[in-house]
Amino acid sequence: MASLKVYIVRRVLLAIPMIFILLSIVFLIMRVAGDPVSAILGGHAPQEQIEQIKQQLGLNKPIIFQFFGYIGQLLRGNLGRSLIWGQRPVVNEIWDHFPATLELSISSFLISIIIGIFTGTVAATHRNRFLDHTFRLYGIITYGLFIPWIGIMLQLLFGVYLGLLPIGGRIGTLMEPKSITGLYVLDSLLTLNFDSLVSAIKHLILPSVTLGVYLSGIYTRLTRTHLMETLEKDFIKAARARGLSERAVIYKHGLKNAFIPILTMMGLQFALLLVGAVLTEITFSWPGMGTLLFERITYRDFTTVQGIIVFFALIVVTVNLLVDIIYAYIDPRIRY
Amino acid sequence: MKARRMGIFKVILVILPLVALYLTPATASASTTKPIVLGTTDKITVLDPAKTYDFYTWEVFHNIGEGLLKYKPGTTELMPGIAKSYRVSSDGLEYTFKLREGLKFTDGQPLNAAAVKWSIDRVMRLKLDPSWLVSAFVKKVEVVDNYTVKFVLKKPVSFFPSLVTTTPYIPISSRSYPADKVAEPTVGHYGPYKIKKWVRDVELVLEANPDYYGPQPKSKLFVVKFYKNAATMRLALETGEIDVAWKSLRPIDIKSLKSKGKQKILEVPGPYIRYIICRCNKPPFDDVRLREAVAAAIDRDRICREAYKGTVKPLYSMVPMGMWSHIDAFKQEYGERNLELAKKLLTEAGYSKEKPFEIELWYTPTHYGDLEADVAAIIKESLEETGLIKVTLKSAEWATYAAKFIAAGTMPIFLLGWYPDYIDPDDYTTVFLHSKWSPDMGVFYSNPTMDNLLDKARTEIEIKNRTELYKKVQKLMAKEAPVIPLFQGILTAATQPNIEGVILDPVMLLRYYLIYRK
Repeated sequence: MASLKVYIVRRVLLAIPMIFILLSIVFLIMRVAGDPVSAILGGHAPQEQIEQIKQQLGLNKPIIFQFFGYIGQLLRGNLGRSLIWGQRPVVNEIWDHFPATLELSISSFLISIIIGIFTGTVAATHRNRFLDHTFRLYGIITYGLFIPWIGIMLQLLFGVYLGLLPIGGRIGTLMEPKSITGLYVLDSLLTLNFDSLVSAIKHLILPSVTLGVYLSGIYTRLTRTHLMETLEKDFIKAARARGLSERAVIYKHGLKNAFIPILTMMGLQFALLLVGAVLTEITFSWPGMGTLLFERITYRDFTTVQGIIVFFALIVVTVNLLVDIIYAYIDPRIRY
Repeated sequence: MKARRMGIFKVILVILPLVALYLTPATASASTTKPIVLGTTDKITVLDPAKTYDFYTWEVFHNIGEGLLKYKPGTTELMPGIAKSYRVSSDGLEYTFKLREGLKFTDGQPLNAAAVKWSIDRVMRLKLDPSWLVSAFVKKVEVVDNYTVKFVLKKPVSFFPSLVTTTPYIPISSRSYPADKVAEPTVGHYGPYKIKKWVRDVELVLEANPDYYGPQPKSKLFVVKFYKNAATMRLALETGEIDVAWKSLRPIDIKSLKSKGKQKILEVPGPYIRYIICRCNKPPFDDVRLREAVAAAIDRDRICREAYKGTVKPLYSMVPMGMWSHIDAFKQEYGERNLELAKKLLTEAGYSKEKPFEIELWYTPTHYGDLEADVAAIIKESLEETGLIKVTLKSAEWATYAAKFIAAGTMPIFLLGWYPDYIDPDDYTTVFLHSKWSPDMGVFYSNPTMDNLLDKARTEIEIKNRTELYKKVQKLMAKEAPVIPLFQGILTAATQPNIEGVILDPVMLLRYYLIYRK
């Protein structure tokens, strides 16, 4: 196992320059995107006010000082203060909104995996038959769909026409459970608050299905391909020869072995999950990071936008790092 | 194969009752008093009267707070607020307000003359966005006795009573708000409602304030839900998640809701106006005949019909419809549209088919919504219908447009829009037409008669005399056409059929405490 440890250390060390490059890119893009001061103040700002904002943002220093100042602050976990309204620390803004996005991401992720693996397995076991064609088509179409479109269709169907589910928000009015983790479903369970639980789940269904369906297509195709490949292998023939039931052959032996590439894809999909969350949140007025980002872009809240992008970027790097490590742990042949 | 299919059926059989079980308990379990829920795509910017300068947050402050005076719902008439009466000194420089006694902020602090003085001083000291509404007019505030407060003005201002209804004049508690910086406490106000809970950009829950002097709000609980887009808000209205859809549904949604007919649609003229500005101090528009020609040739009706699908109304004065003293001045001067007059004026000014009057018309493509380019195109076409004008459209992004071009006089003729700061004809006229301020707006108009009328109207106390003065202002404006009004926005709210008490008026602030369910 020593080699695994070395691998992990090496992998973590490699992540550091990666993060550095990433932060530099964020920094540069935010500077290229236009003069933040005029963006913040708009029209007829008096000179003293412009100077004050410049001072506050450190924009009166040479760019290289600005860059190291920014990196230095980041290392101390300081993302600065929002430029608007209460001028709250950006870190607080993020912590207020992140649980909502996490809850949405987890449930969408689970839904996408369940739908994807189920449809992929059915397609693989019905090769070139009707169900196979249907699910292959499903895999391609969902990947090309536009999230707000799926969202609005579901809202129309389940909200307006059937009247079964709420079409926006996270929970009913004044029904929030006592905050422990910030994930409403989990908090409701922990505090045994049944009303909140029902309300939270009801609100969660449409957004997570929207995002889940959008992300499931790739799993459908991946599961189908790899399962089909695995089912051709000798050990499957051996299993069948031993008289195992078809279900045991597919689920116990086939799917398990086809799983590694799917696991990799889960890591890669994570960035897409966050992108999708932004669009889903806006469609469903879900009060998470996506709506925060969207909102603050419209308000030209330069520091908050920068903070959110950095935060998203760090998450993606961390998740990919974890996936690599898990991957290496599961499959001992993998060492780069 | 058969075995597996059975398996799937088994799964479905287990899931179905679970789904049914989950769907049956309705959400109503928690609510004995069902709140009224209002949806909006606006947002609370900052919950501090010294800093906030947007209509929506002002609306919230008019429900959780109250000024010395307030508007009678549905009108632009003033009535007593937390002051039960006031007196103006004969020179118009001192306004003395007598406060209601025994009022308390929601944090327990007494609301007395000292609290009013503290709040106003704080606005002036912090010098933030809306502070000019106080500091441009008020010299100082004095506490006369515990329940009497005196405002000493820099100059007589006839619309001072309208000014004190604005949010910077709403008193707040010194226990909850710090003296020297912006803060957003959810207590420390005094109004019909108090804040029960506020989650930024998600919801605001208001609860009737039992200490309010006036009638209690019609609905004990009132919830505002904040939507990110108008499409979702419209769906929420259709599913019954919200009772009132307030600013702003899209024109297309309003149209389709109207045709479905399940919800009530309420519409009144809003105080938002759009207009064209001519730069009057340099050629070509220093020639009044050319300004008149443009004013006569514009096709307002077509802008409202084609670009806005009937969701705005043609406007013939800078003083909006629904406000006292409004007259259709431009209609009286030029008619709805008068191409013949425009041609005549242009010919007089020396232009012909061979040598048309060439102008650059400027607009800004996004600041006033996506339809701006269409508006500009319609104006171009309607001017060119004279056969004697050739228009080149030019555009610049808002930052450049507002910061550089307007006051620098870069643009000879351009489109602009206005939301009022205070509800008074002064706010719609003086800045554009008085020689002291008109350069800031890019008008560069100077006419001593006009200055005189405006100054008089500003200081005159009697509303009857002021009305006459503003009518004269409007007539002179139509004659000289330094600014040419185009259209006025409409305020729209959509409600469930059983909702009553939604009163829209030119003040533009919705009073939640009057809304109830039948």
